[in-house]
Amino acid sequence: MAEFELTRNMTIGQYLPTGSVVHRFDPRLKLVAFSALVLSICFLGGYLANVVALVFCTLLFSVARIPLRYGLSGVKPAIPFIILLAVLQLLFYGAGFGAGGRVYLHWGFIWVTSDSVRLVVVSAMRFVEVIFLSSVLTLSTSITELTHGLERLLMPLRHVRFPVHAFALMITIAVRFVPTFALEMEKMMKAQASRGAEFGTGQWWRIVQRTKDTFPIIIPLFNIALARAEDLVLAMESRCYTPTEDRTSFKRYRAKPRDWAMLAASLAISALFLWIR
Amino acid sequence: MEKGITVRKVVISGVLGAIAILLGVTRLGYIPVPTAAGNATIMHIPAVIGGIMEGWPVGMAIGLIFGLSSFLNATSVLFKDPLVAILPRLFIGVTAYFTYRALKRANPYLAIGVAGFVGSATNTILVLLMAVLRHYLAFGAAVTVAVVNGLPEAIVSVIVTLAVVGAWMRLGSGRKSKLSDDDADDAGEGV
Repeated sequence: MAEFELTRNMTIGQYLPTGSVVHRFDPRLKLVAFSALVLSICFLGGYLANVVALVFCTLLFSVARIPLRYGLSGVKPAIPFIILLAVLQLLFYGAGFGAGGRVYLHWGFIWVTSDSVRLVVVSAMRFVEVIFLSSVLTLSTSITELTHGLERLLMPLRHVRFPVHAFALMITIAVRFVPTFALEMEKMMKAQASRGAEFGTGQWWRIVQRTKDTFPIIIPLFNIALARAEDLVLAMESRCYTPTEDRTSFKRYRAKPRDWAMLAASLAISALFLWIR
Repeated sequence: MEKGITVRKVVISGVLGAIAILLGVTRLGYIPVPTAAGNATIMHIPAVIGGIMEGWPVGMAIGLIFGLSSFLNATSVLFKDPLVAILPRLFIGVTAYFTYRALKRANPYLAIGVAGFVGSATNTILVLLMAVLRHYLAFGAAVTVAVVNGLPEAIVSVIVTLAVVGAWMRLGSGRKSKLSDDDADDAGEGV
């Protein structure tokens, strides 16, 4: 029955309350700092910059008092993909984009150059860095804090008529309904299986068969979701909810000097990354 | 279709966004096709359906949720880049909506099917284009992926979109909320 327990290995909204200084930062500024760091990491192209970034991301775990294995567990399932992509990039990239640098190996259409090796190593490192960063963010900030922070951050966009509150509400609904639908899906899978349906038992090369197997789950899932949406719409409208009006919130955030210092430090680090490249 | 933001649009975006996230985290949204870009996906289908049902802003919002969740859950280097994971996904629901609207008059079911195909193709083409532009994949490899992943994705997308939206259109009108502005005409029935 283990394969039907969908809710067990869901990491969404996983939150590790260690009460560290990272946990207590203002979620708005934390989000800005996170975005700046991720964006700057996307542009890192050299070995040195990536080593610095990797060390920084690893240090973040100890600052947030989160065990490093939480970050590593995000990297582990990715290893086969990293290797596959690395091999493909190595084999087919030397001749085209990565044609610069020293040639290590040339055989037929296969060129391995110092540039293509760098590309492979650098993309793998960037990947690990982003995983580490986003694990620290989600493990140290609850979903509610994140959506509140996001809503407050996007407030200025109201002047260009962007529906900030509706947007935050949408994200909250999405996150709120994931476990509910997971339960529904579990029920449906068990119901179908008890009638003799098979899921994931076909051989892996029978792609068409395995895809067809999922239809009896996915299509009812959509229908259930839409029916639930209708109920929710009715419930909200009967309480006279309007998504466009101004509203106040129960929780207010006030950034302390410590939060600004954290933001300044993150921006400085991003700038440093970009400077080293 | 009513203008502006309604409770219905917000809720449907949220709920379909939840499905996109769920298909991702349970791995049920993947078709196991062995290629460089990892598995083929059916997680873009909520965006297509939302776009057809409630218009392009809803499609774009679901695309954003899908993009964010695929970025946060990514197990491949390719999708840990927000420019590949998020940006192209915004347009899935948009193209699906405009395709649907253009063909709706001719034949609604044909329109839904073609919109499902176009939405899926938008995802495949734009993601691979970004992957090539950001130097994750060589052009030749991207074309292979487009055929090997994109084609099954598009076929599944057409089937699921047709089944879901078709059922919703036949049954939907009776369940629609009585309070939203656009269905003053069914205010008399039911209760």
